Amino acid sequence: MSSFQPAPSQGDTVELVIPCRPEFVGIARLAVLGIASRMPFSYDEVEDVRLAVGEACTHAVERAGDSSAVIRITSVINPNTLAITITDDVPAGANSSSRSEETIILEEAGIDQEGLGALLMEILVDDVKIETGPTGTTVRLMKNAPE
Amino acid sequence: MKFKTNSRTPDQTTCVLEIEGEVDVYTSPELKQNLVKLAEDGVKHVIVNLSRVEYLDSTGLGVLIGGLKRLREIEGNLVLVGPGMRILRIFEITGLDKIFDIYQTDEEAAAKEGVSL
Repeated sequence: MSSFQPAPSQGDTVELVIPCRPEFVGIARLAVLGIASRMPFSYDEVEDVRLAVGEACTHAVERAGDSSAVIRITSVINPNTLAITITDDVPAGANSSSRSEETIILEEAGIDQEGLGALLMEILVDDVKIETGPTGTTVRLMKNAPE
Repeated sequence: MKFKTNSRTPDQTTCVLEIEGEVDVYTSPELKQNLVKLAEDGVKHVIVNLSRVEYLDSTGLGVLIGGLKRLREIEGNLVLVGPGMRILRIFEITGLDKIFDIYQTDEEAAAKEGVSL
């Protein structure tokens, strides 16, 4: 990234709201790529954040099915930490789309698709918290810049 | 969003499928359709070239695993070729590099799988 950018200020916040549908997940990733690029992260760390946010949004989209739900992505930029909260308003148990053939094949093979996404998030960022409530799910991701 | 596939079938049971762009929750259903169609057409060996894939997430991994399982059930295989460092890392951190056969080039994959290009 350009070295002419001013350092991020304490607590600068960027919010993005997208429809909870597959075609919008790429927009969230693109926005997060821009935000993470403002941090003192390496190329790999920026990509890690992008993938982790993509996984969090995918988790929401897959539960939403064909709904009018939205995903709110809030990024709080601190000098050495990027905290991103991904909140959806998909009610618990709203999984409207029946289990896909893919999911069934994966389960037979002992692989949990949702588990793959969660595993990726766990590995890619420093801290992950997933809170599921009756009115939606919140995923909190934290990525620290190297000391 | 950029996503494209290009396939060629050197013989009736072998296909080289080149994927370009981003494989995610939006585009992976198309990839799945491609793989299902190939299996329906009698293809048993699929060489998936990932060298032009820029992004791959858990849904893409899921579709590839699904394809692998279907083909191995009929004594075929789905192998991967040329993933970039970022894409390879995703297979490594999920442990899937031990499940898939991953090669550098289409030629190497064909030779190891005993199929012709």
